[in-house]
Amino acid sequence: MINFTINDLEVSGEDGWTILEVAREHAIDIPTLCHHGAVEPSGACRLCMVEVSDGRRSREVASCVYPIREGIKVATDTDRIKNLRRWVLQKLVDEHPGSERLLALAKTYGVTPSRFKSSDYENFCILCGLCVRACDEVAGVGSLSFGNRGVNKEVTTSYHEPSPECIGCGICLYVCPTEAMARFYAQVRVGGIFASGAGESAALRSRP
Amino acid sequence: MKDDAKLGIFLCACGEKIGGRLNLAELKEQLGRYPDVSHCSIHSYLCQGPGLAALTREAQDRGLNRVLLGACSDRIMKKKFAAALKPLDITAPQIDLINLKDHIAAVHEDGAPALTRKAAALLMGGVGSLGMLEPYAPRLADFQGPVLILGGGISGFAAARELAHNGMESLIFSSARNPGDVLKELHRTYPGSRTYFKDLEAMLAEVFASSLVKMAPDRPVEFVVGQVGNYRVGLQNSHGASEMTGSAIILALDREYAAGESWTMGGGGRVIDQLDLDERLAGKRMNPGSVVFWVNHQGQDRLAQELSAAAAWRSSQVLVQEFPGVRPTVLYPADVKLPVTGADLVAAKQRGIGLYPYNPDIHPVVKSGYLHYVNPYDHLEYEIGWDTLVVSAIPGQPGAKTQELMSVLPIFSRNDGSFKKGPIALKPDRKPVKSLILTGSALKLCDLGEALQQGKNAAREVLHLRDKARKGDLASPLVLVTVDQDLCDGCGLCNEICICGGVENVLPGRGATPRNESPYTCDGGGSCAAACPYEAMKLLNNSAHQLEARIRAILSRMQDNEILAFVCRWGGQSAAELAAIQGLSYSSRVYLVTVNCLGSIDPTILSMAFLNGASGILLAGCPPTAPCHCGYGVDHTWHRVDLMKKLLAMCGLERKRIALGYVDVNQPEAFVRMTDAFLDHLNDMGPLVRSEDQKKKLLAAHATMHRPRVRSVLGVSLRRPSEKEFPGDQYNAVDFDESMQDVLREEYLAARIIGALSGGPLNPPEIAQALGERSAKVSPVLNELLRDNRLIRQRWEDGYPLYALAKSG
Repeated sequence: MINFTINDLEVSGEDGWTILEVAREHAIDIPTLCHHGAVEPSGACRLCMVEVSDGRRSREVASCVYPIREGIKVATDTDRIKNLRRWVLQKLVDEHPGSERLLALAKTYGVTPSRFKSSDYENFCILCGLCVRACDEVAGVGSLSFGNRGVNKEVTTSYHEPSPECIGCGICLYVCPTEAMARFYAQVRVGGIFASGAGESAALRSRP
Repeated sequence: MKDDAKLGIFLCACGEKIGGRLNLAELKEQLGRYPDVSHCSIHSYLCQGPGLAALTREAQDRGLNRVLLGACSDRIMKKKFAAALKPLDITAPQIDLINLKDHIAAVHEDGAPALTRKAAALLMGGVGSLGMLEPYAPRLADFQGPVLILGGGISGFAAARELAHNGMESLIFSSARNPGDVLKELHRTYPGSRTYFKDLEAMLAEVFASSLVKMAPDRPVEFVVGQVGNYRVGLQNSHGASEMTGSAIILALDREYAAGESWTMGGGGRVIDQLDLDERLAGKRMNPGSVVFWVNHQGQDRLAQELSAAAAWRSSQVLVQEFPGVRPTVLYPADVKLPVTGADLVAAKQRGIGLYPYNPDIHPVVKSGYLHYVNPYDHLEYEIGWDTLVVSAIPGQPGAKTQELMSVLPIFSRNDGSFKKGPIALKPDRKPVKSLILTGSALKLCDLGEALQQGKNAAREVLHLRDKARKGDLASPLVLVTVDQDLCDGCGLCNEICICGGVENVLPGRGATPRNESPYTCDGGGSCAAACPYEAMKLLNNSAHQLEARIRAILSRMQDNEILAFVCRWGGQSAAELAAIQGLSYSSRVYLVTVNCLGSIDPTILSMAFLNGASGILLAGCPPTAPCHCGYGVDHTWHRVDLMKKLLAMCGLERKRIALGYVDVNQPEAFVRMTDAFLDHLNDMGPLVRSEDQKKKLLAAHATMHRPRVRSVLGVSLRRPSEKEFPGDQYNAVDFDESMQDVLREEYLAARIIGALSGGPLNPPEIAQALGERSAKVSPVLNELLRDNRLIRQRWEDGYPLYALAKSG
């Protein structure tokens, strides 16, 4: 049993749990975007940052991937963390000003798009990688992956073509925290598992 | 509830997402009161570390073997819970998730009491379903014996070599006895491949010399039966039939080429096709001079033209090497991509091979000694001199061997003449299990290199299966169809409509033969089980009994103006859950019941639901434009719903009380509109009034659904995988439908008569009066029932016979 505190509340957990997991168990709110219970956490969105102090120094960590340790003091609502959270959200909404879901989330933390916002209202993907992880870990298919690097990084399929591996389960749609996958989905799926058999699809389409 | 079942319910609050909308404490108290429920608890986040730990701890402490979770989507989360509970020997079928978040909390605007009531109904449905579960443990395959390589295609030899390299035995069914035999005939299936012959000869020599490769006589195949790891192939023999057994089957089928159009041009041996050329090359008989290859597949598709151009290019290389006096030129359509590199082109020029494109829109003209064509770049007419003109060979129909195998194996031809095979098995969590592998150009037109690669890949798939079997991992899927051999009449309907290969081929032409299931290829779609006229088939771990128990439990807690909505995992459920994610809302009067495929819903489930309190049933499946994941499940459901509509009409009810809808994964708005529209229909009709008379009629309708005769007639209309058209398009559709209605009317009346007689013996006028029908209509059915021994004529009274139920019926 590992004992530590979150916002001065005495809590405990088992080896391997993360700060986020324990905080949620005690109804302490930490916002997340790239976290989903079905897949392994990746710490991509940096929205779940908390302040961890081990007595000597304190620093900000991503609570969804940070394993709990004996005696640490976790704070989720210091000014530093609130500021950090606002900045993360500010950058997200500035880069993706078209996403209603992101805007709604940001608004609950008092963040609105600044005057430096992107002019690309069609860019919804925050590259959190949830769809990529879910396609791999939950569906066991792996038809989605990250392509390119740096500012050109994107979620895509092999050769940027509809993926014959895609089984059309729609798990990527379910986990996507923005509107991105709903728009991209048509470019992923060919037509279910019959993709390779043109005869079958044609047969079904001949239905009255 | 099965005696040994011990069920626990775990409710997830999901922070405030569920806990904030539903009264979970009240729900816990309600559910905990049922004797079937051994444990009920509330957790803030079940899917997170602390929640999972609590779940496994409780399950272990209380010795649970059924776990019902009131949480979120089973599509997404079941895998994680199953992994957590695996050490306790609780497998996925023993776990059920009721999606309180996306099916209730996030999509309805009602207050906590209404939502809690609905949650209790859906959860009790889960209790009912898990209670009826008879857990079955997946079986392991026995993977023994050689790989049977049928069809005689060249890819089979490549497969045999790959198998031999990995220490696996194979048996090739071919008439060839040495590499020369194979190469002699190869130009019929892969014309213009002589450049490969040297390598190929070495490969074939290795195959023929290998001790792991046996050759079997190439006799007509009579039957292929069996399942993964254990196949039997029956061969016709001069002295009766012989049988070969093996672990897997590779079908190496090649398309044969037919003569080109050279005969229409005349020229007396100076105009030949690629096949003739290959024969001349083999016999070393080439006249010197200019040889022009004209790639002339005007009517053929692009792929055939490309292959023909490649054959011409390779043949010209052989020509310059072996016949010094010959000057080859290839004239190819400009829209075809030649398989040559820049370096090849330079080499070709050095060796004197001409490569010219022609404008395919303007047909070249053949004259004696000259071929006229239009250059696509400068648009000028050119002429090219020839001493021998070679035109393309034409890919023909699959050979006789293919036709023969088609009759015994689930292989179907597509519109374009290529082939597909029946078995498909692909699901989340499950890699395809294929032990019947099709290779070669019959599958899709290809060149020799690709065919050999396909053979190699096929061998690797078999080796993958073998390795899996050795590790003890080659297990049947969790949901599997099974046939009760005592009930099975051997009608073969399941085998006809099975698309995954899960219903095994049995020996044809031997009368009624009970079917076997192939546990390793079954995809659990379940339309075969729902179609079985004798109800001899069951989906293990997902049986109709479980679904029935679930529906009964839910219906008993539903109100009159509420509807039951069956949603398929791939269409309706996904869309409904997406509606929740996107913040849409719909009426809480819709109770979602998730099924793997709508096709797995037995028609008796529909009639049972109406009998037990449903006022309206909505079925939301995948749209026909985005093909059904389980074959033709939606198509089959269409016919079952149609049958239910007919029965509703016979009961004097509105046909509109049941409706089939189509919704794709990413169409949450469509799902919401669908439920709204159906609720409007129900509002117009009002709840189903359950008078005593109406109940009797519904009971008769339910009994009618169970009749093998009705189910057989229904089975006729279900689409077979080999059928290209929707069977509703049959030219005698109306006649068929009327015959079906006649059968239905008769059986429905028979069911009502039996219902009337359940109260005690009656005479014909009394029966007619009880049913409100004319005596003239009743008496033929009475005679029918008497003949089938479902009724007995007890005695005569007042000049009338007195009928009673036969003891067995």
